[in-house]
Amino acid sequence: MTTLTRQDLNFGQVVADILCEFLEVAIHLILYVREVYPSGIFQKRKKYNVPVQMSCHPELNQYIQDTLHCIKPLIEKNDAEKVVVVIMDKEHHPVERFVFEISQPTLLSISSDTLLSHVEQLLRAFILKISVCDAVLNNNPPGCSFTVLVHTREAATRNMEKVQVIKDFPWIVADEQEVHMQEPRLIPLKTMTSDIVKMQLYVEERAQKT
Amino acid sequence: QAEDDSSSTSDKKVTLLPCKNPPNRERVQLWLEARKQYESLQKGR
Repeated sequence: MTTLTRQDLNFGQVVADILCEFLEVAIHLILYVREVYPSGIFQKRKKYNVPVQMSCHPELNQYIQDTLHCIKPLIEKNDAEKVVVVIMDKEHHPVERFVFEISQPTLLSISSDTLLSHVEQLLRAFILKISVCDAVLNNNPPGCSFTVLVHTREAATRNMEKVQVIKDFPWIVADEQEVHMQEPRLIPLKTMTSDIVKMQLYVEERAQKT
Repeated sequence: QAEDDSSSTSDKKVTLLPCKNPPNRERVQLWLEARKQYESLQKGR
């Protein structure tokens, strides 16, 4: 077993690549399962060796890619505490929040031969949980939309600024009404602990959706 | 209290979101209908 720091092998970048690829699949799947968009825009693909639904709408796909492109520098520096997919009603009040809590160890103990396949196995379990989460959630009202929030620290936002300008995709500080939900029901979906990242996913669901 | 202390060093917690909104459902629905029409026209040729 080898012990590495985050600087070795540019490990932060590897972790950010893995997580952003996973988050892209997860966001598409959440939008499909929670019926934010018509099911006709989704096509079945295979990711992590399981079937998933991915959008084929160019503008939506670009939006998700741009969002993750801006978040990636934060994940790379271990500055993204949470990434939250928020589903909002017509009045732009959150009805559901899919919260990905991310933490990375500062020292990495790696048994490299099984590392990536082990992480893939863990991420697959998240995907499977998301794909059946509608069984434990109430239906959303019609006309919902979504946004992605990132919880970070003010100093860390400098890591985002250059990317924001390049992509012409600016970010702003969220309002209280976009962040908080009154008396949410908490539904834990999955937790993983690996050598390179710890992650937990839970859903906060508004008690009264209509 | 912890957040107040950290704000003095300009490292308080913040929650960010994109300025731009994703395409809305109606817009995506129109795109989907247009694509279906295009595909049926292609099949008819």
